[in-house]
Amino acid sequence: MSWRWFHQWGSPRWFYERAGRWQLICGWLALILLVVGSLWGLGFAPVDYQQGNSYRIIYLHVPVAFLAQAMYAAMAVCAVVLFVWKMKLADVAMQAIAVTGLAFTVLSLVSGAVWGKPTWGTYWVWDARLTSMLILGFLYLGLIGLRAAIQDPDQAGKACGILVLVGVVNLPIIKYSVEWWNTLHQPASLKLTEKPTMPASMWMPLLVNILGYYIAAAYLVLGSMRAIVIGRERRASWVKELVGRA
Amino acid sequence: MIFEPVSLNISHVSCERDDRLLFQNLSFALGSGDILRVAGPNGAGKTTLLRMIAGLFEVQDGVITIDQEPLSERRHQVLYIGHKPQVSRDLTVIDNLKFLTGFDEPIVKQALIDVGLRGYHDSLVKELSQGQGRRCALARLWCSEAPIWILDEPYTALDVTMVETLDRKINGHVAQGGLCLFTTHQLPQSLNFETLELGRVD
Amino acid sequence: MSIERRMLARELKLAAARPGDIFKPMWFLMLVISMVPLALSPDSVLLADIGSAMIWVATLLALLLNTEHLFQSDFSDGVLEQWLFLDRPLAWLVGLKLIVHWLFHVVPLICITPIAGLMLSVPTDVLIALLMTLVVATPALTCFSGLGAALTLGSSRSGILGVLVMMPLFVPVVILAAGVLIRAMDGSEILPLMALLGAFSLVAATLVPIAVSAAIRLNIGGSN
Repeated sequence: MSWRWFHQWGSPRWFYERAGRWQLICGWLALILLVVGSLWGLGFAPVDYQQGNSYRIIYLHVPVAFLAQAMYAAMAVCAVVLFVWKMKLADVAMQAIAVTGLAFTVLSLVSGAVWGKPTWGTYWVWDARLTSMLILGFLYLGLIGLRAAIQDPDQAGKACGILVLVGVVNLPIIKYSVEWWNTLHQPASLKLTEKPTMPASMWMPLLVNILGYYIAAAYLVLGSMRAIVIGRERRASWVKELVGRA
Repeated sequence: MIFEPVSLNISHVSCERDDRLLFQNLSFALGSGDILRVAGPNGAGKTTLLRMIAGLFEVQDGVITIDQEPLSERRHQVLYIGHKPQVSRDLTVIDNLKFLTGFDEPIVKQALIDVGLRGYHDSLVKELSQGQGRRCALARLWCSEAPIWILDEPYTALDVTMVETLDRKINGHVAQGGLCLFTTHQLPQSLNFETLELGRVD
Repeated sequence: MSIERRMLARELKLAAARPGDIFKPMWFLMLVISMVPLALSPDSVLLADIGSAMIWVATLLALLLNTEHLFQSDFSDGVLEQWLFLDRPLAWLVGLKLIVHWLFHVVPLICITPIAGLMLSVPTDVLIALLMTLVVATPALTCFSGLGAALTLGSSRSGILGVLVMMPLFVPVVILAAGVLIRAMDGSEILPLMALLGAFSLVAATLVPIAVSAAIRLNIGGSN
């Protein structure tokens, strides 16, 4: 990895042009993986002896929940890059991931509710995973709200960076404390997200879906980043040219 | 008091704010006895430059040093008076100054007399007029040991007498080896200063 | 006069000049606690069950609302930026301010929780545990609220954004304190959990002021 490659990432224009292509590749790849994975999981994987067919929601819930958390960690990496190398694109990435992360968190909560109804008879249950996911949603909201409240984009980026870094340190602590809290009140645990040993015919489509949603997230984030870059660089000549051409 | 010789060096400093390039590759040096007026139209970056030199605004490009040392090491040698009142409205004049300057009552009281606020030391700042509040902030100049003064529009809301008093004070300060940077929209009559014009990106 | 003495003297005088800032959160706490039986039932057994938790939540809210504007007036007056010229690390000065704020504004709040406990029929041993958890946990909560206050300094009309941004980070403290209260109600050993709570509070009180000072510096840089 040459330093020149690294420094090119400092240029919004370079990113905008390349990202268009990457976005296209990600889009198609994600589509294929998700179609294959979903059909496989929803249609062809074996029926669960305990939960019947309703378990199939895990092919949506698990990848999306995992990603919601992974994206927060990704934002923390962006924050570090922003503070250490002062790369504005890292801030753009942080901004894009925040919204996408929130969407995935909401999706995870909704899919959790859909799973809850046939399994426990209720849409919401204060299970450790769902509760942690709810708090993660609040953390994402806080970031989005903070960015919206500060006018200057550089300042907003740094403020969000501080918040993300404090949040990422607290996130494991929050997760452990919520799990502990759960055991205080529900000793027996048929948890919503208990993972008994799964045969390959079940976890293979899951893997495909996880990969698919990962790349779908990348697709969404890249698209969002390109839009943000155009917005921020709107006074640059290359943007005016681009818009003029369109 | 006589100050040790001090030098302030601004080297290749650029500043971009709100998508606008305010100044680029700016370099100048000041030493004991210098008075510099930073001039330019509204929005040219005067306040930003002053705040940068004061160490409140991060230097994005370039280097600013005091006696060849970074700003963070020498911040106690800088006295900055900006746009904001710099005094807490709910406290008395004297309590504010005792906190800001670290000096005891006798010295602070004398400074207040020097700026024409004799008898006001126990008044709450919120009871003062704007001009009086401004004098209260400026009283710090009369009890400061910092050689470098950075004053952003110090003449605002001052009457003619106070303007003369301030000019005398600044002159006295630089005669003792200090230096002063300021901005103003009212040309001072009795100061001997150089001018730096902002508003043209070189 | 040393810088620490100056700061303490100033904070003392400010607290004396703004007594409302001390009384209003206490007033708020009593109001919220009064709402609980109205919203629930006057049954003292039921109230005793949820009482300590309700007092915790109400105290938390009162603390948050009070700390939200911790730096705002000093920031708009231009006094906060003068801290940067003092010969001390900003994080240290921020820590001092937070400690003093805790002493003058949060401790009075904790002092009236026994009255709230009486109103909600909370048993004495639970009340003692409640007081202990509040004393140990509130320093950390004050620091976190301070961070929210510092982050939203420059933004106009941010409303309670500072509060919203920080609340998720309170979860571990709240859960730990609740754990202590449950043990107290059961009659089992609370000391190990209290120690954990204390350790968390100490770490937070040491590290969070660093983030707070970074946020303050950021917002001072962004203002004129």
